[in-house]
Amino acid sequence: MMTGTIQNRDKFLNQLANRLDRPRKSTSVERPKWKFQPQLEVLKGASQDELLAVLKEQCKVIHTSITVTDSKNLSSTINEVVSNYGGGPVVTWKDERFSKWGLDSLFKQEWPDQKIDLFEWDLSKGEENITKAEKANVAITISEITLAESGTVVLFSDQNKGRTVSFLPATFIALVPKSTLVPRMTQAAQKMREIHQTTGHVASCINFITGPSNSADIELNLVVGVHGPVKASYIVINDL
Amino acid sequence: MAMKIGADQFKERVDKGIHDSFMRGAVAGAQDGMSTKRRNATEELGNWEDWRSHGEEIRQHVLENLDYYLEQLSENVAKRGGHVFFAQTKEEANEYIRGVVQKKNAKKIVKSKSMVTEEISLNTVLEQEGCEVIETDLGEFILQIDDHDPPSHIVVPALHKNKEQIRDVFAEKLGYEKTSKPEELAWHAREMLRKEYLSADIGITGCNFAVAETGSFSLVTNEGNADLVTALPKTQITVMGMERLVPTFEEMEVLVSLLTRSAVGQKLTSYITVLTGPREELDVDGPEEFHLVIIDNGRSNILGGEFQSVLQCIRCAACINVCPVYRHVGGHSYGSIYSGPIGAVLSPLLGGYDEYKELPYASTLCGACTEVCPVKIPLHNLLHKHREIIVEKEGKAPISEKLAMKAFGLGAASPTLYKIGSKIAPAAMNPFTVGDKISKGPGPLKAWTDIREFPAPNKERFRDWFKNREKGDKK
Amino acid sequence: MKVTLFSTCLVDMFQSNVGKSSVELLERLGCEIEFPESQVCCGQPAYNSGYVKDSKEAMKRMINTFSDAEYVVSPSGSCAYMFREYPHIFKGDPIWEPKAKQLAEKTFELTQFIVDVLKVEDVGARFEGSVTYHTSCHMTRLLGVKEAPTILLKNVKGLTFTELPGKEQCCGFGGTFSVKMAQISEQMVDEKVLHVEETEAEYLIGADAACLMNIGGRIERRGKPIKVMHIAEVLNSL
Repeated sequence: MMTGTIQNRDKFLNQLANRLDRPRKSTSVERPKWKFQPQLEVLKGASQDELLAVLKEQCKVIHTSITVTDSKNLSSTINEVVSNYGGGPVVTWKDERFSKWGLDSLFKQEWPDQKIDLFEWDLSKGEENITKAEKANVAITISEITLAESGTVVLFSDQNKGRTVSFLPATFIALVPKSTLVPRMTQAAQKMREIHQTTGHVASCINFITGPSNSADIELNLVVGVHGPVKASYIVINDL
Repeated sequence: MAMKIGADQFKERVDKGIHDSFMRGAVAGAQDGMSTKRRNATEELGNWEDWRSHGEEIRQHVLENLDYYLEQLSENVAKRGGHVFFAQTKEEANEYIRGVVQKKNAKKIVKSKSMVTEEISLNTVLEQEGCEVIETDLGEFILQIDDHDPPSHIVVPALHKNKEQIRDVFAEKLGYEKTSKPEELAWHAREMLRKEYLSADIGITGCNFAVAETGSFSLVTNEGNADLVTALPKTQITVMGMERLVPTFEEMEVLVSLLTRSAVGQKLTSYITVLTGPREELDVDGPEEFHLVIIDNGRSNILGGEFQSVLQCIRCAACINVCPVYRHVGGHSYGSIYSGPIGAVLSPLLGGYDEYKELPYASTLCGACTEVCPVKIPLHNLLHKHREIIVEKEGKAPISEKLAMKAFGLGAASPTLYKIGSKIAPAAMNPFTVGDKISKGPGPLKAWTDIREFPAPNKERFRDWFKNREKGDKK
Repeated sequence: MKVTLFSTCLVDMFQSNVGKSSVELLERLGCEIEFPESQVCCGQPAYNSGYVKDSKEAMKRMINTFSDAEYVVSPSGSCAYMFREYPHIFKGDPIWEPKAKQLAEKTFELTQFIVDVLKVEDVGARFEGSVTYHTSCHMTRLLGVKEAPTILLKNVKGLTFTELPGKEQCCGFGGTFSVKMAQISEQMVDEKVLHVEETEAEYLIGADAACLMNIGGRIERRGKPIKVMHIAEVLNSL
C-alpha cells in the first residue's frame, strides 16, 4: 500500500508543545494505569446463556427481532425469517461459513428454485455489487463479536465482505453464533486491539450495528429506517 | 455558516427566543425527555461517577500529551495510505479541502453531521467552488434546505422546528406533497438522499474519536448516514478538531459509551463505525482516497491555560439538555453554533470576548451542567473564570457595575461601613416602601422590582435582635 | 456544643426572623450560639460577577471573624458553600489558603449541621400545613446537601409534604443574574412558580433566603396565595 502524505505537522505540533510549556514529545508515551475501570464490571463473569438473555431483552429496546436456533435448523430458520420480510432479492457476503453451516442448499437450490434472487458479493464484479445491494430487500451478514449489553453485532469488512451490504438493503439480518457473545463493547475493543497487535492490521471498516437505522430529528419522534435498513433481525445459533 | 450565527445583538436574540413559543415548548419537552433518558441510562450502570472519572482521566491524559498522540495518529493514517493535513487556521483547512475538490474535479459532495466543518464555514467555501453540498443528517438536511437555518442544538440541530414547519419547507423547496407525519417526511428525505450518496464525488465527515495507535477514527450516528457518506463516494475527507482523539480502541470504547448514554440515553447508537484508511487493495466499496484534516482554529490557545478542561468535551450536549437558561432562550440566542453551557464557555474562547462577552453571564451558575458532564468539565467554574477575565483583565464590565461592586467590596470588607449601611437601609428605602415591600425600586433594584417584589429592610436587624437578647439574658 | 452563627447579610437585613429561628432552634437542640458582630458578607455577589479581587477583602474579613469558632453554621446553603470555596479561591496563597481551609472544614449549612453533626432527624417541631420544598442549586449540587432538609421536614408533626416537580431546576436567582439577565430570570422564576402551584401546597419552603426572595417576590407580585417560609422557621414551630 502506498504511504500517504503528512503536511504542516511540525509547525502545528510545536505550537502545542509550546502551549504545554515543554519540549515536543515524540517518543513513546506510556498509557497511564487508569485509576478507574468501571467498564470491566459490566456483566462480569456472566455465562453465555446469561448473556443471551440480556441480548434478548435488549433487542426489545432496539426494534430488532431475535430468533434463537441451532445449526441443524439454521437453514429453515433463515428461510422463514427472510420470507417473513417479503423474500428476496437477497445479498450476502462471500463467506465460507455459510457453506460450512449447511446453507448451500438454501442459497443455491431452494431460493433459486423459488425464484428468490440471491447475490453473493463478488469482488470481480466491481460496482455491480453496489447496484445489487441497493436493489436488495434483505442482507445476510455474520456477527464476529456480539455485545449483549447494547444488543450490538460487530462486522469486519474485507474484499469479500462489502461494507455497503449492511446499509443499502431494506432489511438487515445478522447471524450470531452464540460463542461470539461478550458482555459489552469493552471486550470488542480489547479484541480489536489484540488483532492489531498480533497481525499489524485493522479492517478498513468495522461496524458496530445496533438495530435498524433511525432518527429523532423531527420533534424528537422516533422514525425507524432513515438512511439504512428499515428492519433488523438477529438469528442466534445456539451451538456455534 | 461560521461559528457565529445571525447578526442580532445578544439582547435581541434572547428577546426573539423568549417570544418563540413553539421553540420554547419544543426545547422544554426535549430537555425533559432527553435528560430523563440520560438519567436512566447513567443510573442503571450503578457506578456512573466512576465512568465519569475514567472519562476525565482519559481526556486529561490525551490533552497533556496531545502532540505525541497527534503525531502517532498521523503516522498511522499515512501508513494506511491516508493523507493528513494539519491546519492551524480555518483558512488553511478550507484551502486544502478546496485543493482536493479541484483535483478530483468534484461536483457533488455529501456530508454527515460535523460541528467543526460548520465552525470553519466549509460549506460556503465548497459552494463558492461550484459544488453542490448535501447535508445527510436528517436534522441538518432540513436546516440546509430551509435556506441554511442555523442549528440550535449540537445533537438535534433542527430542534426549534415543528413538523408542520418542516412539511412547508419540504413542499416549497422539494415539491413534497404528503403530510407532516415524521415517517413520511423522513422517507421523502431518504429517497432523495439515496440518489445523492450514489452519485456524489466526495464524502465529508466529522470525527467523534480518532484512535492514535491504529490511525482509525469512529463515527457515531443513529441514522447510518455517515456510513453511506464514507462507503460510496470515491474520495473521503474527514475533518477533526485536534483534541478529538484517544490512545487506543480501549479508550475509544469508553468515550463512545459515555457519549451515547449522555447524548441520547442509549447504550450505543445504531451505528458506530470505525474506519481505518481508504479501502484496501481489493475492496469494492469504501473510498479510494482518504484525507484527514486536523484543525486547530484557536484550540491551541486554550491548551495549557486555565480553560484547558473545556477541550475534554465530547460534544454530547448533556449540559445543554439540563441548562435552565437554554431552556427558555433556545440555541439561537447564543449567537454561536455552540450553544448552552458548553457554548457559553467555548464561543468566547474561539470567537473572542468582543463577540461573546454576554454568554458567560447567561448562567445562574446553578451547576447543573457540571453535574451531568460525562468527562467532568467544571463548566460553571469556567463560566465564572470568564467573568473574572472580562472584569479584571479585559475591563469590559459596565462602569456602573464596577462602581457598585467597588462599593460592595468596601462595604462588605468593613464591618463599620456594613453596619452603618444596613442600619440606615430601612430609612433610605422608606420612600420606596409600601407596607413591608418595595414594588418600584430605584437604580439597580428596578430590574428586580420590574418582575418581583423586594422585601423592605427589617427595622430591627438580626444582629440588633441578637445583641438585645443577650443583654436581656444577662440581666 | 458551641456554634458560631454566620447569619448571612440577607438574613441580617431582610429576613431577621430566619436568624432568630435558627438561634432558637439550635439552642433547643442544645447548642450555645455565638454571633460575632464583625461578620459582613461572604463576598459571593461580587465574586460570582467576576470581581474576584474586590471580593477577597470581604473573604479575608470573614476568615478572621470565624477563626476561633468550633462550628460555623449558616441558614443558607449558598453562603455556606461560599466558605467551602474559599480554599480554592485562595489557592497558592501561603497565608490565606490554610486559614480558608480551616474555615471551610468547620462550616455547615443549618440542616446539614443538624442531621450530620448533631445526628438529629426529628427536631420535635409541629407545623400544620401542606408544604413543598425548593432544593436550591448551590446547596444541593455544590455543597452536596440533598437529603437533610427533607428528612427534617418529613419528621415535622402535622406537616404534609409534596415533592416539587422539576425540583432540580434553578429558580432563576443566580445573584446578579436576576437583574442582569432579568428577562431570562423572569421566565425561570415563572416556571418555578407554576411548579409550586401544581403541588397545591399552602407553603413553599426553602433553605436559602435568596432563592426564597426571588420565588416569593414573584409569587407576591402575581398575587398567588402561596406562603413562603425558610426551613428554620418551620423547624422552629412548636
